[in-house]
Amino acid sequence: MKFTVIKSLQKDSAMSLILRSFLLFISLYLLSDIFVMHTSFGITPQALKTTLFGDETLYIDPINEASFLEFWHTQIFIVMMLLLTLSSIFIRVANRSRIIITNVVMLSALVSLVALPLAFYLSNFFIHIYIVTYFLWHFTALYMIFYSFWKLHARSV
Amino acid sequence: MQEAYKLSILHYLGFSLLLIVSAIMLFEHKIGFSFEAVLDYYVGNEEKFVPALSGGGILKIILPHIFVFGLFAMVLLHFLVFTPLRHKKSLFVLIYATFGVALLEMLTPFLIINGWSFFAYVKLLSFFLFLGLILLILWVLFKRIR
Repeated sequence: MKFTVIKSLQKDSAMSLILRSFLLFISLYLLSDIFVMHTSFGITPQALKTTLFGDETLYIDPINEASFLEFWHTQIFIVMMLLLTLSSIFIRVANRSRIIITNVVMLSALVSLVALPLAFYLSNFFIHIYIVTYFLWHFTALYMIFYSFWKLHARSV
Repeated sequence: MQEAYKLSILHYLGFSLLLIVSAIMLFEHKIGFSFEAVLDYYVGNEEKFVPALSGGGILKIILPHIFVFGLFAMVLLHFLVFTPLRHKKSLFVLIYATFGVALLEMLTPFLIINGWSFFAYVKLLSFFLFLGLILLILWVLFKRIR
């Protein structure tokens, strides 16, 4: 987290390159995550419902509780580390709206991670909240990445 | 510390709480919180058709945890360095305790499968102690940065 205390990131070409490369990897992760979720877990209400509760007409079994809990537990850790590092870079380079955008990405990710077990244990209704907040935090994070990337290219940070 | 960074850390504390909740649910579902449940999970139980875990099997389970426990503890504890606690002796006690207990939590399964069944208690104790220490760090950070 040394980059949070460097006075001018633009002048530090090595640090700027490292951060831009890191941002590229995060954007690849986010896009791949959407693709993998689409093909495995589901990102539409119907697909998610089928994954969580199965579908008798299609002979699809519901996900077992242990697999679900492992998936949820892993997701929480990955998302928290990803957003902490991304928000640290974004806060460092952004001048305006950084508090609002940090709040949006963090809170939407938190709500999506809370909505997932609520959908599994309580009600189908939370599937919709999960999907909306899942896309909200992904697209906000992608915006933060592109914005930070652009700012790291700019003449002064 | 800048307000925006404080905000980011506050959210991180929220994620950490969620991680603790998921860890408790997962432990309860996969192992259980009794001495017998811990023994059954690691040593196996023929009556319940539970297979015993081998050293390699345990290592496969704890492998990601070795890195994650270290990283998670490091990230949380390094935030404390930015608070007035930086020069207090209690911070060093907290650092040693957190990493020490995390290590104990990961190593006890190997002792359990080697016949030291008493360590099933130590496994449970270290699991809750580790979570307790994380909660303590979260509370201290919350009080210092809000």
